[in-house]
Amino acid sequence: MPIWTWFGLRHGAATTAWPRPGGDDGQAGVLGMPRFDPGRCGAGCRDCVEVCPTGALAPSADPRIPVKPDYGRCVVCQLCTEACPTGALTPSAEWAYAVRERDDLRWTQAAASPVGRELRQRLRAFRRSLHIRHVDAGSCNGCESELQALNNPFYNLHRLGIFFTPSPRFADLLLVTGSVTAPLREPLLNTYEAMPEPRLVMATGTCAVSGGVAGGGYNTGRGLEDLLPVDLYLPGCPPNPAAIIEGLLLLLERLPQRSRGGRIER
Amino acid sequence: MSAELIVLAVIGWSAAAVSSLSGRAAGLSRTLLVAGALALLAGTVLALPDGVGPLRLGLVFTAPVTLRLAPEACWLLAFGLVPATLAVTLGSPLTHGRLWIFGAALTLFGALGVFGVTEGAAFLIAWELMSFGGALMVLSECDRGGQDGAVLFMLTLLELGAVCVLAALLWLGTVHGDLDFAHFADAGSALPPTARYVVGLLFIAGFGAKLGLLPFYEWFPGVYGRASGATGVLLSGVVLNAAYFALSRALVVWLPGDAGEGFALGLTLLTLAVLTAILGILYAFQEEDWRRLLGLSTAENAGIACAALAAALLFRHAGLAPLAGLGWLVALLHLGGHALAKGALLLTADGAHGVTGHYRLCPQGLLRRSPWPLAVGALFAAMSLAAMPPQIGFVSEWFVFQTVFQGFHLPGLAGPLALSVAGAGLALTAAVAFATFIKVFGVGLLGGGQMNGPGISAGHARAVGLLGLLVLAAAVAMPWELVALEQAVTAALPGAHAGALRSDWLLVPLTADFAFISPTKLVIAGPLLALLPLGLWWAARARRRRTPAWYGGLPRTSEQVAITPLAFSNALRTFYSLIYRPTEDMRREHTGLRYFVRRLSFDHRVAPLFGPALFAPAVRLTYRLAAWMQGLQSGSLNLYLAIIGVMLILILLVPLL
Amino acid sequence: MHATESRMLGADELAAACARMLSDGGRMQMAWARMRPGMSAPELNYLVSPAPRRPFVVWRVQPDRENVPSLAQQAPLLSWYEREITDLFGLRFDGHPDPLPLVLHAGAQPAHPPLDPRRPEQAMAFTQLPPALPEVSSADVQLLPFGPVRADVVESARFFFFYIGEHILHYHPQLFFKHRGMEKRFEGCEPLRSVVMAERVSGTGSFAHALAYSQAVEAAAGVEVPQRARRLRVLLAELERVYNHLHYLGHLADTTTLKVGQAQGKLLEEHAKQINAQLTGSRFLRSLLVPGGLRRDLSPGPGITRSLGALQRDASAYVRALEGTTSYRDRLHDTGVLDQRTAFDQGATGPVERASGLDRDLRRDHPYAGYDELDLRVPVETAGDAHARARVRTEEINASFEVILQLLPRLATPGPVRTDLTVPPGAEGLGWAESPRGSLYYAVHCGDDGRLGRVKIKSPSFSNWRVFPYTVHESNMMDYAINEASFGLTIAGCDR
Repeated sequence: MPIWTWFGLRHGAATTAWPRPGGDDGQAGVLGMPRFDPGRCGAGCRDCVEVCPTGALAPSADPRIPVKPDYGRCVVCQLCTEACPTGALTPSAEWAYAVRERDDLRWTQAAASPVGRELRQRLRAFRRSLHIRHVDAGSCNGCESELQALNNPFYNLHRLGIFFTPSPRFADLLLVTGSVTAPLREPLLNTYEAMPEPRLVMATGTCAVSGGVAGGGYNTGRGLEDLLPVDLYLPGCPPNPAAIIEGLLLLLERLPQRSRGGRIER
Repeated sequence: MSAELIVLAVIGWSAAAVSSLSGRAAGLSRTLLVAGALALLAGTVLALPDGVGPLRLGLVFTAPVTLRLAPEACWLLAFGLVPATLAVTLGSPLTHGRLWIFGAALTLFGALGVFGVTEGAAFLIAWELMSFGGALMVLSECDRGGQDGAVLFMLTLLELGAVCVLAALLWLGTVHGDLDFAHFADAGSALPPTARYVVGLLFIAGFGAKLGLLPFYEWFPGVYGRASGATGVLLSGVVLNAAYFALSRALVVWLPGDAGEGFALGLTLLTLAVLTAILGILYAFQEEDWRRLLGLSTAENAGIACAALAAALLFRHAGLAPLAGLGWLVALLHLGGHALAKGALLLTADGAHGVTGHYRLCPQGLLRRSPWPLAVGALFAAMSLAAMPPQIGFVSEWFVFQTVFQGFHLPGLAGPLALSVAGAGLALTAAVAFATFIKVFGVGLLGGGQMNGPGISAGHARAVGLLGLLVLAAAVAMPWELVALEQAVTAALPGAHAGALRSDWLLVPLTADFAFISPTKLVIAGPLLALLPLGLWWAARARRRRTPAWYGGLPRTSEQVAITPLAFSNALRTFYSLIYRPTEDMRREHTGLRYFVRRLSFDHRVAPLFGPALFAPAVRLTYRLAAWMQGLQSGSLNLYLAIIGVMLILILLVPLL
Repeated sequence: MHATESRMLGADELAAACARMLSDGGRMQMAWARMRPGMSAPELNYLVSPAPRRPFVVWRVQPDRENVPSLAQQAPLLSWYEREITDLFGLRFDGHPDPLPLVLHAGAQPAHPPLDPRRPEQAMAFTQLPPALPEVSSADVQLLPFGPVRADVVESARFFFFYIGEHILHYHPQLFFKHRGMEKRFEGCEPLRSVVMAERVSGTGSFAHALAYSQAVEAAAGVEVPQRARRLRVLLAELERVYNHLHYLGHLADTTTLKVGQAQGKLLEEHAKQINAQLTGSRFLRSLLVPGGLRRDLSPGPGITRSLGALQRDASAYVRALEGTTSYRDRLHDTGVLDQRTAFDQGATGPVERASGLDRDLRRDHPYAGYDELDLRVPVETAGDAHARARVRTEEINASFEVILQLLPRLATPGPVRTDLTVPPGAEGLGWAESPRGSLYYAVHCGDDGRLGRVKIKSPSFSNWRVFPYTVHESNMMDYAINEASFGLTIAGCDR
């Protein structure tokens, strides 16, 4: 009969030090959203637009930039990096794309989007302790798998003061995955309604941000866009646990936002 | 004044009985009945604390009857008549025939007789009238399908009891040669102790059949379950009180209890009473029908009152008159409060039947849909039966425990031990009773948030509200009500005083140093203490946002999601399965292969204790005897003539012996 | 289907053919419908497995009337497929024992059957209506509708329990809240790129779905992928199996409140996913497969070999520790017993099926990718309880590591990983894979323009969700979570 306590003690601490500096975020080798270098685009080239399954690469009217990526629609399938003949779209390891404003996922030349004063007031209470109610509104289970990984010994979300709760009555943050199918629309809205103020909403995964691969069907919506007031958008298909942690800490203003205007700032 | 009112009552009831038989409008009969009840109520209340002196009533076709209502009889009668009047006013929802009124008139007549007559033969007639009236009321209400012998079972057990009472009365009567109750006090002393014990046992068995002491409580669910709430009010109010009064008079006044038989009787009665209380409430908790649950709870409460009486007997035997008086008084308080509260809940059951058409406990939103007096009344009544402060049920239950806890005053080991064990048993019944009345109130009245429609009728609501307020008032005014029983307790148990139970506004078990409660003060302090939280709640009203209850995202699919009576009782059902022997039966109906289930049939049952063990074999024995004696019905004229001849010779020989 | 034998049947011959097939020891696998161009009624296809190691056969039925006889009374597992066809195509089945909506909830009001390719896809109107539940005679039975938003981070579905206290009398899961209509999304898409959508039907089965889909398109086009691609496909499929089984063992330890066991299981799953990421760039093995092979070559270096070795050692120690824990084993013994008859009738698949004594595994019986050149150990148990299912998964982890270690040396030799592929007009193909949860089928019908026409997906969870309630009836509440964890089901795969 094994003594599990001894088993655990013998194996020692498995938790990574990340997000403290020097820690391993556990995402070695993980491919993120493609890096876009508009300078390399060929004139009138639309190869990437044709292959993108979710329409994340939209042709733009601007002559200098033939396509404008919307990372909120990217499902990280890498098809565009294979289709691009000039290397304007290349694979990268950038998966940390959490933003507060939806526009920060769209490629623009403009920069900063400051945190609104009202949001900052709501966030003050949650900086050290946040309770999340997760609702699956029609995902493929990939996001749930990564969310369930947050409580494994490697990431150990509890050490950051963030917990998942069983009831919306105890929740501060509503974390939604999936493109909101028709039968789940009402339960999702009821869950939001059942949360006491102050409350936040996070759209996790490309399906929740913009509908993803399944969006726009006969039974699916296009994510949370016109449904709930979203405080954090985290695209990814699925966003890995480090990206989710980075997003949550960003929401709580414990980490700075790195993506502006569709670009990751160093 | 009281005497005149009693006469009025008798006249009114006779007229009601006659008019209901004669086929006149039921309204007139009912009015006469109610008027008579009101008159008697007024009479008995005014008669306290002295009681009503000898009153000769000349009845048509019989010899005159002398009525004498002792103060405790007035007390019990008054408490029983309040809900009875309301019940008769509201009438039975299951029948509009006049047979019910006739039955009610007979029952009330019989009860008055049991309380008041001073002579044995008249007593037995009154006793039988009371039983017969009750049976008539139930028979008038149960439909053809319900006549499977429940009423017959009740009458059989009551007849058994009547035979025991007859035997006991005759035995006491042999001492002085007549059946006058005034002589019975000496008659009891003249008998040897063993004979006194047997007489006492016969009285316990006889009156216990009506009170529901084990094993006689088994007729309660069957009969209550076929009657209406109004009938139940009469059965658990006036009739129960009458039976108790008769038992307490027989054991306390007629049997002196100073020799060893007093201890033995007290011990026997204590055992029977506590076991009745435990079994009664355990089976009541499993019931899902308002009436059956409340009927078994009546048996439990009768058990508690008899336990207090048994404690009084034990204390009297040890010469501790004040404690004996305490026990004796406590039983009266208990039955008084019980009549009010039980009446309120049975009338609530009738009201529920008026809305839903059945008597099952299920969440129908009745409390929400009905006028507010119903909520107040039902809540106070349920609190009282669950022994929650500050209601009268709590007062009497507390007093019962205080009586039992003072068993250490008794000499020897057996007495204190018996009372301690009894206390443990009573604690068990108190706990299960608490759960039972939460079930009644919670499952029967609360819930049902999505049901709409009319609620319980205003008449029933007001009646229940009135009874509930009386329940509270009886507790709050208890220090002053005890004055009414001063003379009674001193007459029954010399050396005891009713005033010993109070100390200013406190209620004490003879001394304030042992323990005390004060519903009077609680009723003042409680609302004052509630002001602060209410104020805070009111102040925060602007910031509140209402959202529906959380059910996992979607609203409740149906009322089936609510708690069901079986779900509430299931834990105890499993825990006490040794007593209950529960059975469950689950059948599935399929469409084709067994995988495609279309319908589920679920059935559940608990097995009664004495039915299969005691009564069924007795019935079978009776059938066998009857089958054997059927041989006499041979149809042969010669055999019949021979039998007549033998009987003649025997009758002629008897005087020679 | 290319490379799969097909047979035309009349609607009136169907029942007799099914009875004959069943008495010969065959088994129905799935049924689907599709609208052929120019026809007014959908054509029905039934995938039949005539005998354990013999190739599949597809029966096609073109009904001339609106109604077709239901086969549910003979092959109960078909009852869900028939209800799905009724919902999505409007075709009714005569004599169906449970003719209730399945995939589209009761309150859905589509303007036309959703999978009818002649009409444009449009969002349908929807109102919430309570589902049809079996009638219960007694008002004493409690009903618990649990969901669709349940406690913890889990997928959305609603479970109806009819219970008294601890005793569950009847259990009815209402699924298909998450029905996304993925099969419709494939219509009109280009076959090579649509593998991206196949990966996203079920997240934790991404690779198996992509593999079955790719093989279906390869079967339609009639191409063989290079050997290196076949071997890499096996390696990646087994990696997916390992992390899924570790996840389910950790989840099972959680339900039996073995906290350190849960933590270790989840940690080992995390290590497996990190190995996936280091090897392929995706924790879920996505963006690798394409019909014709792999999109890029992989070279498992010494680092990967070391990590896999360490993971195997840790996993073996972990499962040994689990098996040695009495409290864990006790909770699993006799919990959720699934007898062999029910498992067969209801179409159980994967570890669930193999724990009830049915010895079927697509990798061995109908080899695909590189499985034909490998010794594969397929564990089978007969007890049918949660412990048997856990043991099957445990042994499958060990078997997967054996396969991986057999393969790694063979991957040292370089080679091509992709062939070109063009789909002829009107081609059809059937592809299958043994996903971690069981047998997975993709039936692909292409249009005349070479684009996808109808894609039918049968995920293992669709079959196992049908079986699961039969282990919950007459059980108790405390065992429910353990039983559900031991089945290891996803809802996204079932709902698609």
